[in-house]
This record gives sequence, structure tokens and C-alpha cells, in this order.
Amino acid sequence: MTGAEAMIKCLEAEDIRVVFGYPGVAIAPFYEGLYNSDIEHILVRQEQNAGHAASGYARMSRRPAVCVVTSGPGATNLITALATAYADSIPLIAISGQVSSRLLGRDVFQEADMRGATRSFVKHSYLVKDADDIPRVFKEAFYIASTGRKGPVLIDIPMDVQQAELRKSFKYPDAVSIRGYKPEIKINPIQLRRVIGLLDQAEKPLICAGGGVILGHGETVIREFCEKFNIPLVHTMMGMGVLPKRHPLNFGMLGNNGKPYANKAVGKADLLIVAGARIADRAIPKPENLTRRAVIHIDIDTAEIGKNVGPTVPLVGDLKEIFSLMLDANIERKEDSWIAELEDIKRNTVDKRVFSDRLVDPNLLVQKLSEKLPNDATYVADVGQNQLWSADNYIMKEGRFLTTGGMGTMGYSIPAAIGAKLVYPERQTVAVIGDGAFQMAMNELATMRNNNVDLRILLVRNRFLGLVREYQHYNYDSHYEGVKLSDWPDYSKIAEAYGLKYYECASNDELDEKLDWFLEGEGARLLVCDVDSDNNVK
Amino acid sequence: MKGIFSVLVENKDGVLSAVSGLFARRGFNIDTLAVGETDNREISSMTITSTGDQRTIDQIEKQLNKNVDVIKVRRLSDTKSVCLEMMLIKVAYNLSNRTPLIEFCQLMGAKVMKVAPKYLLIEYHAEPENVEDFIKVMKGYGIIEIQRTGTIAMEK
Repeated sequence: MTGAEAMIKCLEAEDIRVVFGYPGVAIAPFYEGLYNSDIEHILVRQEQNAGHAASGYARMSRRPAVCVVTSGPGATNLITALATAYADSIPLIAISGQVSSRLLGRDVFQEADMRGATRSFVKHSYLVKDADDIPRVFKEAFYIASTGRKGPVLIDIPMDVQQAELRKSFKYPDAVSIRGYKPEIKINPIQLRRVIGLLDQAEKPLICAGGGVILGHGETVIREFCEKFNIPLVHTMMGMGVLPKRHPLNFGMLGNNGKPYANKAVGKADLLIVAGARIADRAIPKPENLTRRAVIHIDIDTAEIGKNVGPTVPLVGDLKEIFSLMLDANIERKEDSWIAELEDIKRNTVDKRVFSDRLVDPNLLVQKLSEKLPNDATYVADVGQNQLWSADNYIMKEGRFLTTGGMGTMGYSIPAAIGAKLVYPERQTVAVIGDGAFQMAMNELATMRNNNVDLRILLVRNRFLGLVREYQHYNYDSHYEGVKLSDWPDYSKIAEAYGLKYYECASNDELDEKLDWFLEGEGARLLVCDVDSDNNVK
Repeated sequence: MKGIFSVLVENKDGVLSAVSGLFARRGFNIDTLAVGETDNREISSMTITSTGDQRTIDQIEKQLNKNVDVIKVRRLSDTKSVCLEMMLIKVAYNLSNRTPLIEFCQLMGAKVMKVAPKYLLIEYHAEPENVEDFIKVMKGYGIIEIQRTGTIAMEK
């Protein structure tokens, strides 16, 4: 058996059915292995999107997903996607071909030091120098990617190692033993008791849920916890979907792009339980202010404790397990008056959103779209104004809201939505994207069509790089520089070129009709909604 | 504050750059770094010293622990551990100051490894603060070249 055949065997052992990739000579032996296997290969149009598509796939399947690239430029193109996945703790296995091991370090054609280049963007990386190491390396890579705080793992494999015959017979290891990696964290019983004590005594506790809740599969248990003890919840952008938007205990997204009443709730709480959130600058601009009240910080990653927020009561461990334990603890159910107070705040917070009559109002657009979407729909928001309008207005039901919160990588939504849709072809999947990001990712329309992926793409067009324009408006006296996209391309022609059904919408009055058309029937569609360029998020 | 870390790592290529890269990426400063194999050839031992506030020193320990190739991190206190540093130093001399220089070396337990026509090559090992003091004195004579190993440390 060759190294390449062993790689395929490893993927099969991990029950991998789809890989996203872009071939080249240095990874050709692996592709020969794919040719002889049942694993489906989705050819993307640029390597970065192989990573994003795998990210969408991993988030929906809640398992590591695989992307494959060749050496040199193929591999370096993938780096942005790795950084994106790393920032959002998404489990990916990235396989990159490498020049033959005897040529390593000689700067031969298409050689790039991938381990060195990706060091700060991956959870771990391997350069495989011996084909007999392949089973162990793959086993470890999948284990590292999917345990503890999840993240991408790179496996760089020289071409000659893929071609080499294994000396030993292939055996995929049953277990992993890595001296320096022990992700099973035993929950500290003393800390847990302290946390339970604080929760019991608090009169106005508030949960702040981050993306870690979803990554740790903790949505159900947190919902039960909130309901049992009558504890309200706010969430970060990555924590959207922990509770449905209209759940009576959900007080919305916090942060400088969130709901003012969610931020006020943080101010009113006497105990804040931060769960699976790093409390980065976008969520809480001045985390040092939090020290005025008790803060419990629950996270799987010890290093997150105290990184951005001062002294807290830390509780490190698996979030689902922690909340399950707390669910059975003696905690007094909180008074309805606390919820009523928050409802009052919510009612009395002036909604600063200005609903525009000119063209399509983006807030109304997202609201109407989400009302019309089925319960379990997947909504993939790109980056920019469209992301903030989406997060602010999306009426989350029981589905998923995917976006890149950490890195904010433009063009994420289309490839990620392709990956997401492949996991659940029966679920309605919508990518919402601006005209800037669309032009970064529109090459993937071919991937979508090639594989008959029934995506619905909603393009919010204002003919500008809107969020930067908005920034220039507020910070540089409206000196708009380098942000004008103008009228190109003609999206109807793009749709035609890729064989997509196409519609445009230019007023609020047409919205219902156009959205119904957008969501109905079969087959990928592109709906372009024109938004006034002066329509800012803030 | 000063942080002294004794770190056991996998003795593999790329591990040193991963560890030093971790410091660079987060803006932590490495004051000294000493690396060598342990009795187990698969494992290397590093002593890293760094300065920073409490949060920084805590983060260094946590981020080191996150690295898959890092097997064990121990934070040493300078009172409960033995810290040593070794140095080779070339110091210029002339006929008038040679004798006091050699006497000073004897007093401090430094060894003169070579006497050249214009300089002495001296080996000195001691606690890091004594090494600093020794260097200060040598500056008076004129330092030509200096090589330091960085701190190595062990819990008592």
C-alpha cells in the first residue's frame, strides 16, 4: 500500500465522505487514491474556498471536515481559510501536498514552508516524512481538531511520501496517545460548587453565550438550564442560535453591533455567566468595566480565562457537561421580576434603526426573509454591513446562523453555504452577501452549479464597500476613498452565465413577492436587492 | 515581574520555532532561552525567562500549555529554584590593569581560559544577577566579545 492509499484509508476510517480541494502535481498521488475510492471530491475554484466550504460542512455536520490543496501557491492560498477557521474554532483537516522530501528547503518549484507559514493559524501541524507515520498522524490530527477547543490541523505531505510503499501493514490506530495533549479536562469540583453557590445567591444572573456553546453542542442543555432557573440570556454574534430569537429568555445580541438593551442587561445583572465566549472587543468594548460585578467564565480553553477580562470565577471544562451538572444542582429559581425588568428595558429602548423608504430597507429585508424561512433553515451571513444587518434583524428559529465572527473574512458565505448545504441537502440554505464580498467569491458559483447545490444567494447591493464607506463617513468626514464598486458587473449576466434564476428587487413594496419567488421551488437562485448606499448600520 | 519557565517539549523539528513563535505572535518578550536534550532523547528541556505583568506571565504559561508539542510547563520561583547562567567573555587588558583583573576573576570564581596578547578569555557561571554584575565590572576594562547561555533553572 502506498502512502496516498493509506491517506484514503485513514479518511475512510474517519467516515469522511466528501473532501473539498484543488489538485496539483504535488498532491497528485492522493488524487489517484481518491479516483479509486468512494470519497466525493468537490472541486472549488480557488483554494481558500476549499477551506471555507469545509468550514461550512464541519459546522453543520459537527465533525471535522477535510480540504486538500497542492504545494506552493495552492497551499498558501488556503492560509486565509485556516486563519478564519482558527479564529472561530472550527475543526478542519487541511491536507497539503509538498515537494519531495529530498528537495525540501531547496526552494524548488512550488515549494512553500507550510508548517512555518501556518504556525499561528492552526491548532497543530504535521510534516509527514515517513509513509508509515500516516495512520498515526491522521488519527492524531482528527483527534486534535475535534477535541478540547476545536480548530484546524494541517498535514503537509511530500509527494514522495505519498508514493512510498508502507513497510508495515496498514492499521488505523484505535486510540491516541500524545504526551503534550490531554484535552479531557476534569471539572474542578470546588470551582463548580463555588459557581453553583454564586448562581444560587444571585438575584439577577445573566448568561452571555458565545460560539463555544454551539461548538460544544450545548444549546439544548443551556436552554433547559435557562428555563428551569428562569435565567435570561444574551449572546455574541457567534452565539446566535443558542436560543431562538423569540424565546422569552433571549435578550438578544450584545456588543457594539448588538442590541442596546442586551448591553444594558449586562449592566443590570449582578452575576454574569460568560459561556464559551472570549469576550473580544466587538462583544464588550471595555471588558475591564465588567470587574464591577461577579463574572463566571466557563470555557474549554484555560487560556481564554483572564485573557480579555479581569478577575473572574473560572470554570474550565466541557460546557455541555458543566451545564448538565448545574442543571441538577440546588439553585433557586429566579424571580420573574428580573425578567420583567429586562423586558421593561427592552420596551423602553429606542429602536434606532431607521427604516428607509428608498429602495429596499436592509433591516426589513432580513426580517421578512427570516419570517419566510422554514424553521430549520441555515442562514449564512457574509462580512460587512450585510452581516450586521443580518445579526441585528434575523429572527432565529431552530436552524443555524453561520458567519465568521473572529476573522471577518469577506467571501466566506458562498463557499461555506455550499459546504453547509451538502450536509443537509433538504434544508433551505441561504447566503446573504454584499456586492463587495460577492465579487470575491463569485467564482464558486461554478462549484455550486457543477455539483447541483441548491443555494439561494441574496445579494445586498449598494454599489459600495458599505462598511468601510460607513467608517469613512463617521471617522473621515465622508471622504470616500477606494470604496466605490460602481455598477459592475451586470449581475443578471453573471446569473445567466452560471445558469441561475435571477430577480432584482428595488423597493420595499416588492419585497414579499420577490422573496417568495426567491425561496420557492427548486434550483439555485440569485436575488439582488438594491439598498441605498447612505443606509448605514448605525 | 519576572517569569521563569521550565518547559519539557518533544525533541522534534519545528518545536523551538513554534515555542518562540508563540512569544512573538502575542507580543511576549523572551529574555533568555536555553534548550537541550534530556536523558530521554525524545524530549528536550527549555528554560525560558520573560518579563511582563501578571496577566502576561499567566498567559505565557497557558499558551505554552496549549501547544501540542509541549509536554509540561513548570513555573519556577527564583527563591525556590536554582538558577544559573554561563558566560564566555573576552576582556581587553593592558599591563597596568592585568593583575587586578585576574585577581577579580579569582575572587569571583571565574576561570581564565586563554591569555592572549591583548585580551583574556574568561569563563564565568553564576546566578543570573551575579553574571550581570560581573559584566558591569568588565565594562570598566573593555568587553571585546560576549557569549551567554541564558538562564537554566531547576526546582530545589
